[in-house]
Amino acid sequence: MSFTAPIFDIQRFSLHDGPGIRSLVFLKGCPLHCSWCQNPESQNRAAVIAFYRDRCAEHFECEAACEEGAIQRDGFRIDQQKCTLCGSCVEACPSGALRLIGEQHTPDQLMEKLRADFPYFARSGGGVTFTGGEPTLYPSFIERVLDLCSTESIHTNIETAGLFSLERWKSILPKFDLIYFDLKLLDPEQHAHHLGPGFETVHANAIALSEIKLPIEFRMPVIPGITDTEDNIDAVARLLQQMGKPSIHLLAYHNMGEAKIDIIEGSQPRLGLARLSDERLAEVQNSFRERGIEVLGNDG
Amino acid sequence: MLEDVMSFETRDVNPLALAPGMKWTLLRKVIPFWLNRSLPMRAFSLRKKLKYAGEQLNALHFVINEAAGVAHFLPDYTSLVQLGTRGLRTRIEERLARGELPHDGKEYLEASLLVLDSVERFADRYRAEAERLGRDDLVRVLERVPRDPPQTLREALQLIWLFQLVIQIESVDQGISLGRMEQYLYPLYREQISRGEINDDEVRELFAAFCIKLSEVIPLFSRRATEYYAGLPSGQALTIGGVDAEGNDAANRLSFLLLDVMEGFKTRQPNWHARIADVSSPEFVRRVSQVISSGGGSPALYNDDVIMPAMVLRGNASEKVWNYATVGCVEPALSRESFTSSDAAIFNLAVAMEWLFGNGQPLAKDSRRERPWLREIHSLDELLDRLETQTSERIGQLKTSLDAIERAGAEYYPTPFSSLTIGGCIENAIDSTRGGAWFNATGIQAVGVADLANSLAVIDELVFKKGLYNLEEIANACATDFKNQELMLARARKITAFGNDDPRVDELANRVALLFDRCVSQHSNTRGGRWMPGYYSMTCHQGFGQRMAAMPSGRLAGRPLADGLAPVDGSDMLGPTASLNSVARLDHTRFGNGINLNIKFDAATVSGSEGCATLEALFRGYFAQGGMQVQINVLDPAVLEQAMRDPDSHRNLLVRISGYCAYFVDLTPAMQQELIDRTRQRAR
Ligand code: SF4
Ligand code: SF4
Repeated sequence: MSFTAPIFDIQRFSLHDGPGIRSLVFLKGCPLHCSWCQNPESQNRAAVIAFYRDRCAEHFECEAACEEGAIQRDGFRIDQQKCTLCGSCVEACPSGALRLIGEQHTPDQLMEKLRADFPYFARSGGGVTFTGGEPTLYPSFIERVLDLCSTESIHTNIETAGLFSLERWKSILPKFDLIYFDLKLLDPEQHAHHLGPGFETVHANAIALSEIKLPIEFRMPVIPGITDTEDNIDAVARLLQQMGKPSIHLLAYHNMGEAKIDIIEGSQPRLGLARLSDERLAEVQNSFRERGIEVLGNDG
Repeated sequence: MLEDVMSFETRDVNPLALAPGMKWTLLRKVIPFWLNRSLPMRAFSLRKKLKYAGEQLNALHFVINEAAGVAHFLPDYTSLVQLGTRGLRTRIEERLARGELPHDGKEYLEASLLVLDSVERFADRYRAEAERLGRDDLVRVLERVPRDPPQTLREALQLIWLFQLVIQIESVDQGISLGRMEQYLYPLYREQISRGEINDDEVRELFAAFCIKLSEVIPLFSRRATEYYAGLPSGQALTIGGVDAEGNDAANRLSFLLLDVMEGFKTRQPNWHARIADVSSPEFVRRVSQVISSGGGSPALYNDDVIMPAMVLRGNASEKVWNYATVGCVEPALSRESFTSSDAAIFNLAVAMEWLFGNGQPLAKDSRRERPWLREIHSLDELLDRLETQTSERIGQLKTSLDAIERAGAEYYPTPFSSLTIGGCIENAIDSTRGGAWFNATGIQAVGVADLANSLAVIDELVFKKGLYNLEEIANACATDFKNQELMLARARKITAFGNDDPRVDELANRVALLFDRCVSQHSNTRGGRWMPGYYSMTCHQGFGQRMAAMPSGRLAGRPLADGLAPVDGSDMLGPTASLNSVARLDHTRFGNGINLNIKFDAATVSGSEGCATLEALFRGYFAQGGMQVQINVLDPAVLEQAMRDPDSHRNLLVRISGYCAYFVDLTPAMQQELIDRTRQRAR
């Protein structure tokens, strides 16, 4: 039986998404649409041809290679209706300005790519981190990869925003060595406004997971003016205390994601926020500590 | 040297002050005296002299380092500290008494006694000066040194320094290496500690002072030579760690004290090298990682589990290789008894493509558009065959010159003092330059493996697989530095380069490296040892690159070649694990004369206990897969500034930004600036 999942990137030698040297597997597709999303190209499940304007030398090899006539020279657009994702333009482009993002992988294909770094995982206590997008969109795929990793004693973890069916994931989650669970906005209206659907599910999943005593750690992205309000910090701290998990990772906001927005025909509005200052981050850390919450480090 | 006499003080690289009157003496006396007496002048006939001088002044194909003398060996300081000069003298006298001497053997042994005399008198003069200055401590040391075996660490270091100095005066100040100091000095250390005569702080201080003395050796290079060997290297390697005769971890308390010195007292010399074996203790490896992460690029790391088999493959006795140490930059050799001329020449392997394209003409000056000799090449295998023929021919030329230089060295410049410290010379009654050592070899280094491999990958894809161009068109584009060939250039650069964990191009790099091995290993030197290949460049990748036309890989004319066995700067896009995997894919057991792999990190990635653990996992993972050597550099802000100005050469530069790693060139200018500022703050 083969399950596949669309992967838009595998980033090797990552040091900050779990212990040791890790490979991050970015799965494409997300049920939320955070206004500050770092990886806007990951939101849609479907594969897409990404265009890196700054690398384009305007030779239009791509146009000649496209049998569907999907590439329009004028303003450089790829007509998504016509495009069959055949990849010919990517192959033809001499400058690397085009990339097919979201190629389907079987678990074995993914393992083959991860295997290259096993010698480093083993010696650093590192391994594989599933992230996205929202990796919980692909339970069968991930379960199979987890089983393959566990036969090779590879450490695994997942970064989830928490919007998944607990029914489906109950049997899979214990297979992870570590689970990063994001708590973003604990006010239903704010959640709906900035993230979209699923407030109740996320909330219920957080509580359910801490009850079944999985190796779970909570994280909060610190988005200036959005998640770092006193009300939100207060609510997050209270929920952590209530779950008996009084610690949190803080992820400092950086605005590198915005540079990527031009790449695809994204509808993402620009936030225009500056990156989080060190001073502000220190204040947020203090706010948590005052509420009895241990701050686990500001990596991310 | 003549070229630089007038500008030593004012030249922009490595300026050197001259004592008053020195310039005059150089011009009137020293240079005229040596003009006809230097090794190359002795080696060649007039016509060949001119050709040789022309070649070496603007070296494109190879530089013959041995033209300055062989040097590059591991004096047997183990015996020296057990014997003192008195003991050495006895050895020589016994040998003389035994008779059955080879031709010139008597003269050689008598010369040895003479130089021993001289060095003793040199030490006596030194003691007289110490007395005059009222330095009683030094006078006491010099009462034993150099004649009697030292009884303290200080006496041992004084004795070694005396020999180190005189050897570098007699031979040339290149690669006179100290070997496994922490092994042969350990007995003295242990005795002194147990007698309560010395504490660890005093030991550290002694070695720190020794490092200062080593750093005082400054080789005098001309500006041209500096293009090939920048930074005034004298290559006094000092090796710690590794295994003992039983194959167990050899690191001892002294190894850790030396690591403290390395970390706390960063000097230009020695070249600190650490042997790492699978059995090395976790404490030793951890401490080594900490010292590396403190910056300065020391120690460089050597993989016992690959180097020992590689040495056996070159004829070193398998029961002896546990005691290898490194010579000069990176070259492994048997301690106490080998004379390997490990840095005899550095050879430009990448230029073979240019010879082939230009049919023997330098490509940049070649305006021919028709190149019929290229039409007969229809596959990668045929292309590689042609490149091997080219390389083999040039290696043949190198062999002719090197043989002449070796013979002239043996004839006019024997080194009886150095030979005192090389196992075999006294016993055989033959000077080291004539093959007296128990083990002889010659090391020839290749530069440009990655550039050639990348070029082959491009030709394979664009010419043989896709048929987009023919070889003549590629050659013409290289000759004109890709003028009006932007499309071809873009296509070439898109093709995966060596260093991205892609078996196809990595395999090509291996074929290129083994091609060089075949061309080199078929030769022997005049001392009865075999040639063997090494893969390091000092800074010859710059010197050669400056004089070369463009290459099919998309490397433009005049740009540097890849450094040592590393991927081309900026071409490895998938991070350090991928790049290390690529290098480890080459067959390092063939690389008997050593390799150099330089990798760089920014300080934040490798600092702290997590950073050390990361470093350690990286080099151990690379070693477990068959990597031979690596030198890890921690970046300074100046490099980041360069990367900002010249992003193309720094595409692989990984930096840490508030909690995650990114490629520096992928950051916005503002972010880059911020990072530079931060690095500056940390550096302060
Ligand atoms: S082929 Fe590539 S570089 Fe050329 S126009 Fe298309 S995207 Fe741009
Ligand atoms: S992927 Fe295929 S169909 Fe789509 S734009 Fe490129 S060439 Fe055209």
